[in-house]
Amino acid sequence: MTAVHTTDAAVPTDDSSAPRRAAPDGAPRRRGGAFDRALPYLLLAPAVVAILWLIGWPVLSVLVTSFRKLNLRELTRGEVVWTGLDNYAEILGDPAFWGIAVRTVVFTGLVVVVSVLAGLLIALLMRQISPVVRIALQVAMLLAWAMPLLAATTVYQWIFDQQYGILNKTLVKLGFDAFAGYSWFSTGTSTLAVIGLLITWQAVPFLAFSLYAGAIGIPKDQYEAAGIDGASAWQTFRAVTWPELRPLLLMVTFLSLLWDFKVFAQIWAMRKGGPDGGSTTLAVYQYLEGISKSHFGVAAAVSVVMVALLGLLTFQYLRRLVRSQEGEL
Amino acid sequence: MIAKKVSANVAALVVALFFAFPTYWMVATALKPRKDLLSTGYDLVPFSVTGSNFATAWAKPGFLNSLGNSLLVSLSAVLAAIVVGLLAAVALSRMRFKGRKGFVMMLLVAQMAPFEALLIPMFLMMRDLDLLDRLPALALIYFAVTLPFCAWTLRGFVNGIPLELEEAAMVDGCGRWGAFRRVTLPLLGPGLVATSVFAFVTAWNEFLFALSLVKDQTKETLPVWLSGFQTQFGTDWGGAMAASALFTLPVLVFFLIVQRKMVTGVTAGAVKG
Amino acid sequence: MKGWRGLAVGAAALAVAVAGCGTSSDGGSGNSGEPKTLTVWLMDGSAPTTLTDALNKEFQDSHAGVTVKYEVQKWNGIQEKLTTALTSNNPPDVIELGNTQTAKFAAEETLTDLSGDVSGLNGDQWLGGLKDSLTWDGKQYGLPFYAANRTVVYRTDLFQAAGIAAAPKSRDEWVSAIEKLKAANAADPDFQPLYLPGQSWYVLLSFIWDEGGDVAKPQGSAWAGAVDTPQAKAGLEFYKKLVDTSGTKAPKDADEATPQQMEVFGTGKVGMMIGLPWELAGAVKANPDLKEKVGAFPIPSKTAGKTAPVFLGGSNLAVPAGSKNADLAKEYLKLLSSKKYQDMLAEGGAVPGTSTDTAKLATTPIGKALADSAPNGKVTPTTPAWAAVEAGQNPLKDMLTAYLTGAKPLDQATADANSALSKTLGG
Repeated sequence: MTAVHTTDAAVPTDDSSAPRRAAPDGAPRRRGGAFDRALPYLLLAPAVVAILWLIGWPVLSVLVTSFRKLNLRELTRGEVVWTGLDNYAEILGDPAFWGIAVRTVVFTGLVVVVSVLAGLLIALLMRQISPVVRIALQVAMLLAWAMPLLAATTVYQWIFDQQYGILNKTLVKLGFDAFAGYSWFSTGTSTLAVIGLLITWQAVPFLAFSLYAGAIGIPKDQYEAAGIDGASAWQTFRAVTWPELRPLLLMVTFLSLLWDFKVFAQIWAMRKGGPDGGSTTLAVYQYLEGISKSHFGVAAAVSVVMVALLGLLTFQYLRRLVRSQEGEL
Repeated sequence: MIAKKVSANVAALVVALFFAFPTYWMVATALKPRKDLLSTGYDLVPFSVTGSNFATAWAKPGFLNSLGNSLLVSLSAVLAAIVVGLLAAVALSRMRFKGRKGFVMMLLVAQMAPFEALLIPMFLMMRDLDLLDRLPALALIYFAVTLPFCAWTLRGFVNGIPLELEEAAMVDGCGRWGAFRRVTLPLLGPGLVATSVFAFVTAWNEFLFALSLVKDQTKETLPVWLSGFQTQFGTDWGGAMAASALFTLPVLVFFLIVQRKMVTGVTAGAVKG
Repeated sequence: MKGWRGLAVGAAALAVAVAGCGTSSDGGSGNSGEPKTLTVWLMDGSAPTTLTDALNKEFQDSHAGVTVKYEVQKWNGIQEKLTTALTSNNPPDVIELGNTQTAKFAAEETLTDLSGDVSGLNGDQWLGGLKDSLTWDGKQYGLPFYAANRTVVYRTDLFQAAGIAAAPKSRDEWVSAIEKLKAANAADPDFQPLYLPGQSWYVLLSFIWDEGGDVAKPQGSAWAGAVDTPQAKAGLEFYKKLVDTSGTKAPKDADEATPQQMEVFGTGKVGMMIGLPWELAGAVKANPDLKEKVGAFPIPSKTAGKTAPVFLGGSNLAVPAGSKNADLAKEYLKLLSSKKYQDMLAEGGAVPGTSTDTAKLATTPIGKALADSAPNGKVTPTTPAWAAVEAGQNPLKDMLTAYLTGAKPLDQATADANSALSKTLGG
């Protein structure tokens, strides 16, 4: 066992093979004093206050705003104009909305699957390689992670530039002459593919680091046992790695889903959701319809719809989590 | 077996190249003289190299000042998020109490909030607290935004430390706090590091709030300063890339310091078996 | 460290009442008789520092007890920053607004009505195009600051070598100049007689206006698209003619910023570009060899001898409605609108907003081209909704790309863009 056994960080599943930490029950320190009973609340208090105040309050105010008309005029004068469900009617009645919602879900899904899979493969790979190569790989990933957004989006645009981009030049050099002057941003799908690559490139380092921390926590003897049985790599993975990593995988998938669903800056920087609106996602839609027109009520309504959609997508996970929490209590 | 090992290492190097390439391209662009920026020739390796873009970036007013602001804001936000997050994580992981489930839900739902949409309410809040134009406003916001993630992740790391170890220490005469400090905290090293790197990068790169909440130029953070390369008169891309490279350095240093600790932590963890 | 103490106070207040949101204005400014601070926000690169230094000094000298807090703003993210600033307890007293944005801020009543002060602000000499952009509902919500417009920047040495005697004065001459340049440089495969990216929609505006059309027209209280008219289509066809004749290698799905056309011009392989004065300066900076080899002429009209109408890009100055020092702000604007400072603007290479005297501008070839075409300058439709067209996915850009790449025939491209425009402008 090592210290970084994070498998329990996620929802413990019904899978009984997942090791459970010692149940708190029966611990010798259960003295039952008033201080002991108050202690968990004291420990949580700072976090609860901070989250309720600094996130809960603004979120609540977004929710309230979604039922108001809040343009520049109302905002600068502090006027309150209630409009009921008008903002929702406006966006849900927009014929473009549902297409954008579907595109956002599909795009998010693809990016999450690809990046989690890549993160997992890299995490497993990191265990197989020499320490020097591993540090090189980690530093390379950190560089990707630490690159300022302005630089990252710009460099990606340059690499994929039609005429001066190094990618097209390299492809032509390799004999693919069709790529001379090829435009990677001519359709929404192709633009989203480039954006997806950028987001994946930015997301994988975190995923790989987390999963690697989880993977080195898997006891060696389990692998040895599997190795003696003459199992193939795939069988070892199925029998040992997968069940051990599954809760952690679920958690990072969940987090990736939340983050990738909300991505705005990278998409906007590339083509502002173009060409012809072909790479517009909900976050871009929110900016176009709400923020750029200074219709903050509409923007707030889009936020609420986005959170609702996210809730729907992650409902299963949340439900399971709540259930397992009950089990632990 | 050896062939497998070699191919794994080769694959890892290819992956490393993929991740490092954009950074290489950023630095290569920063080193190119302006006339080579748009070249139809094959310039995977720059034709010629100049330090003038780095000189421009370094000489652009405000670099050191905004570096200091960014460090102050990011480090204080990360420190606060880690401390407060760790307290909550310990409670969640080690104690039974009513309302635990609700708190976990809150941590998760808080991460669903669309950050950009919170700009206006957060702005109004900071205005009413009279914190506009002040760096603590940013520190406070970055703290709040990274806190749910930190608490949630640290909970996982605390879970990974067997309770028996702590109990053994308590039996040996350590108090509860002593046991936590001598046993749990050292073993949490890698977890704290991984979490804080994440929180640090988030705060370090944030642009929108830093721009909107602070109008005093002496209080700019690095991302805002960096955006100053984009002017009405076009963008000095060579200078912007050189500045971005300088901007990346502190994160790299932070990681390299922390990386050693991470390895030490893992080794220490392995020793106790 | 005042801020950190404030934070502690804030946190303490919180402990008492979570999310207590009483407005606490610090009352440190604006007391009568006390020293006053006039906060002025100008955009990065707007006015030369020689001008602002002199202006602020003169203003402070003539107003005892007043300090001008002059802050230069970055363009990146300016909309969010203005929005939040106008909402704060202490908004700036003078702000600079892009001329295509002004209507939006005026219509939302966030700016002070300056109609009564126009005559004191040199009102009879205001630059026509800019004046239109700050008029909303018959009232004036600002002061024209400065403008610039596009001209054709060209290489004098290449023109000479190709045997082109004089700068083109009509579309036909222009096209034939392109052909001559192309023929004279046929040996160089990288050479482009004209660099024209597919989405230079401000250039397209010129062509459409020259045909007598426009991109939108008022319709009731809102505006509707007008790019499906024969005039607009003729403008597009001329755009395509330029692209086809020149064989420009510029991307058809990007504007002049990606890649920056001044950098492309700076490579020395380009005969002409349609650009702003600063783009010429940028090209010369990228390639100092070009310094003595460049000139400029106004975009020619289809009517020989005339210049085509041009889009006037520029800024207005306004006083936020929440300004606590509106009267001082007006005096500041008055000083700025005086001939002395207008001349300094012209000297800096811009078309001054409140003076018709452009003698100081016309001292360079590009300045002369600018001064010659600016009176024929126009602006985009003055409707609050226009800002959203530019901020977002400009249908005019998509239209150009679709038409130039052949993805859509002309009629369909214009029809699609027209309905997209009407949708944005109508709401």
